Amino acid sequence: MTTAAAQPELRTTPPAHAPLIRVERLRKTYKLGRVKVPVLHGVSLDVASDETVAILGASGSGKSTLLHLVGGLDRPDRQVKNYRRCARCGYDMAGLEAPRVCPECACPAPALNERASIVFDGRNVTSLSARQLNRFRARDVGFVFQFYHLLPELTVLQNVTVGAMIRHGLGYASSAADARARAGELLDAFGLGHRLRHRPAQLSGGERQRVAIARALINKPRLLLADEPTGNLDAETGAQILDALADLREKFGLTMLMVTHDPAVAERADRVVRLHDGVIQGA
Amino acid sequence: MYQALLTRKYLTSKIMPLLAMVAVMLSVATVLITWSVMGGFLRALLDSGRVLVGDVTITWPAIGFAHYDELVADLEDDEMFVAATPVIEYFAQIQLPDGRPTEVYLKGVVPDGFDRVTAYMDHVWWRALDEPTARDEEGADIRLLDGNEAVFAEALDNARSMSRALGDGEAHRPAAILGIEVTGYNRRNAVGVYDYLIPYRTLPDGTEEPVPVFMPLNGEIILTVLPPAKGGGIVAEPVTRSIPVANEFQSGIYEADKNTVLVPFDWLQNILNLGEARRTRPGASMFETAFDPVTGEQIPAAAAGAQVSPARATSVIALARDGATPDQIRQRTREIYAEFAARHPGEIPSPSAIQIATWEDLNRTLVAAVKKETGLVLFIFGIVCFTTVFLVLAIFWAMINEKTRDIGILRALGASTTGVATIWLSYGAALGLVGAILGVAASILIVHNINEIHAWLGSAFGLVIWDPRVYYFVEIPSDIVPINALVVLLAGIATCIIGAAIPAFRSARMDPVESLRFE
Repeated sequence: MTTAAAQPELRTTPPAHAPLIRVERLRKTYKLGRVKVPVLHGVSLDVASDETVAILGASGSGKSTLLHLVGGLDRPDRQVKNYRRCARCGYDMAGLEAPRVCPECACPAPALNERASIVFDGRNVTSLSARQLNRFRARDVGFVFQFYHLLPELTVLQNVTVGAMIRHGLGYASSAADARARAGELLDAFGLGHRLRHRPAQLSGGERQRVAIARALINKPRLLLADEPTGNLDAETGAQILDALADLREKFGLTMLMVTHDPAVAERADRVVRLHDGVIQGA
Repeated sequence: MYQALLTRKYLTSKIMPLLAMVAVMLSVATVLITWSVMGGFLRALLDSGRVLVGDVTITWPAIGFAHYDELVADLEDDEMFVAATPVIEYFAQIQLPDGRPTEVYLKGVVPDGFDRVTAYMDHVWWRALDEPTARDEEGADIRLLDGNEAVFAEALDNARSMSRALGDGEAHRPAAILGIEVTGYNRRNAVGVYDYLIPYRTLPDGTEEPVPVFMPLNGEIILTVLPPAKGGGIVAEPVTRSIPVANEFQSGIYEADKNTVLVPFDWLQNILNLGEARRTRPGASMFETAFDPVTGEQIPAAAAGAQVSPARATSVIALARDGATPDQIRQRTREIYAEFAARHPGEIPSPSAIQIATWEDLNRTLVAAVKKETGLVLFIFGIVCFTTVFLVLAIFWAMINEKTRDIGILRALGASTTGVATIWLSYGAALGLVGAILGVAASILIVHNINEIHAWLGSAFGLVIWDPRVYYFVEIPSDIVPINALVVLLAGIATCIIGAAIPAFRSARMDPVESLRFE
């Protein structure tokens, strides 16, 4: 499944219609003690509504970081210094790390401060307050993780409905029946209708991932962010999960951003974006 | 909502936090039991302190004040008071049957009135008993011995009338009731009752001989007082009287039982010259005569200023209705006395001079000491119990470490930092609530059975904490006050919440991405 020979054809054509997500000049640097580790170097990406985009890249290429930023779990670096073409000789200085002078003609390099942006359905996610980001994650985004990340003390049904509880807060009391009914429907659709009272520890890996997908969908998000959704599964189960995700996309009209290091998984997407050392290749 | 769900799940699935709950339970139980025992001790002390003084005392020492019967009536007519009675308080020296002298505090009381105000008859010691007292399991109390019923019944009657006949068929004479510790003939034993010791008299040649006396049966004391002068001060002429002993009392306050002797009011009033008397205005010649208008005989001329000097008492004590606070009692007494004084201008001490003290004022030193001790013990236990905060903190810290990834998951699902912190705070509150309720329940159980537990500890391990020879109450006094229980319960909950607060704050500050990557 992860053979290097099965390189998919890169389909990097931008969507024809207005994108649901527009990512521009996204940079992210982590601090490890005193050392700054840049992970993303000005990533820009458009994802159309109902589109499934796979972000393909090796481990450490910044795929998960991109996903976390788009999902509002993390914030990009606040200011991005973008050095444009030299005003005198026209030398392209984009991508250079803070040059003081133009490498070509040695004239002073003009630095322009431009902010990174992640625009979701016309809203700039990067400028949302913490409270608005919480709401964004609760309403508009569903996360699916490689290691399922279910809460071990809760039953399958509770793991799915906990997303609705977070979204509705105290108002959940009035919408609990609806949430439970929707959770039941989703779990039924995933063949887990008989496992509602089970704990995650009593489920197989594939079942856990299906529960995680059901949890991601409980609040009817428009965007599903999947981080290596099959990375912890065997090939057959992984294929089943991908089939389930494809069905969901058909059924609910989901926009999906999927991170994977597996070209075979990426091939199931409408479009594949290759991320290498924090830079999108071929974009 | 998810906070409540997770709190419930953690409560039922995690072992470690249950240790925090047990710690809270023990802390709450420790503090509440201590508070209840110390509070019970204080209450018992206060109740005992009221035995001899009632709820309020109006005093003009030594020379006393007149028209006390009117003041008694005024107090009894008032809604705040149930009963009132006059008392004469004075110092005296007594000589015991074995010849030893000792100084005592005399109280001249009217038996019925004094009993209505202080219920002192309940504290008269020598009486026939049908069953042993609480800790006297072997029935060692001499009041239980067969054949003594008649003696003790008579002694009780004598206490009621404050009189005793010196021999068969003889008339009753005024008699005294001594504090049980006055003579030293009564020794308090390990079960909290008194053994009677035969006193010995030392003879001039240095030998000793037993004195065949049992105070309520044939005891007699010789009492010497220095009566006050009419204008105040002390008359140099001492007055000495012999008075039989009717009975002995145990109030519960050692100092009172060691120093107080009750005698009949009229008897004491008489020897102190506080009774009603005719006074003659100075200036009339003792040789001046006049003719009797009826018989025509020559008789000594009546002094122009002759007048009746009313009887006096040094105090009036009163019993207030239940529920009246010391401040209310003091205030109302002042008002009543002011009206009383207004009717007798110049005859009695002015309202500003008269001494009005509640039972709490009179026992202030003792009460304050016990209150301070209670506060100190509670403070020390409070400090010890405060370590529970750190135990909870450590447990929650470890738990939040364990649950780091779950915190990341909740944040990914849209939970706010406040929402995440609330999980741990509500979990802490729930642990505290359950622990504190169990602690209060355990306290109630232990306090209600504290004497049985103490007895069992004594029999099983020889551990005697509450020795009636040392403490003045036979049983460990204890009293759970609902408001105290509520305070301790809330403190127990607060302990857990405080302990959980720092870990909760930490959980709220966790980076969700790092939390999701936590392994």
